[in-house]
Amino acid sequence: MSFTLTTPSGFWNPLLWLLFLALFGIIAYLIYSRGNPSYKKDTEQIKPYLSGNPEPTKEKVQVKAGDIYWGFIEALKGYYKVLQAIHTGDMRDYILWYLGIGAIITFILIGGV
Amino acid sequence: MGKLTNFKRSLWVFHASGGSCNACDIEIVAVLTPRYDAERFGIKLVGSPRHADVLLVTGAIPRDFADKLRRIYEQMPDPKAVVVIGNCGTTGGVFYDSYNIAGPIDEIIPVDVYVPGCPPRPEAIIDGIVKAWLKIERLEKELEGKEK
Repeated sequence: MSFTLTTPSGFWNPLLWLLFLALFGIIAYLIYSRGNPSYKKDTEQIKPYLSGNPEPTKEKVQVKAGDIYWGFIEALKGYYKVLQAIHTGDMRDYILWYLGIGAIITFILIGGV
Repeated sequence: MGKLTNFKRSLWVFHASGGSCNACDIEIVAVLTPRYDAERFGIKLVGSPRHADVLLVTGAIPRDFADKLRRIYEQMPDPKAVVVIGNCGTTGGVFYDSYNIAGPIDEIIPVDVYVPGCPPRPEAIIDGIVKAWLKIERLEKELEGKEK
């Protein structure tokens, strides 16, 4: 019984794949075993070196998707403050705006007649 | 002086300058540059305490830097040694008992070798490093003994 799958672009053999997996596993273990075994877990020894400063929490160093627009939002802070206040999430407020603006437009268009 | 027996690896050094006036720092550089050339023996400065065997500290340590120095020391892998270069770190020097000084250094972290001087000569610094090396070898043997 042959385990080799031959395709136009090459061949695939799971036994060979497992052999290479084991080989790379051994190489990885050899590299790992050359490491320093005397380090102490759950101490400063496993933390990154930041010029002696404490490591900030993940929340503080995380770049959020919204941070892409940070400069834009910061520059137009006054405008966004008003806009966010208007966005109450209440449908009745939106209908009121709709009717109010509609009334103003209607007044401009036919009010002078 | 003891005999170096263990050349399993080169000695890597991290230099923490805590409010130093640069005199000691420039002597450390003199140790590494071609006249004394400690790099011949693999003694070199590294950019992170996590790669270092020896911590070189210069200067009287200001209060703001004390916790950072402690953290740097704690991040070094074992076995490790601390060498204080110059009078400021050794005793406080001319800054002794100043309101903004947290030192001498041995009040912040454990110190293994003192190299007094203002600034100490490169020969004295090399001697201090050799003493630190001997200490590290002894600690390494102790660690190996514990592992067995």
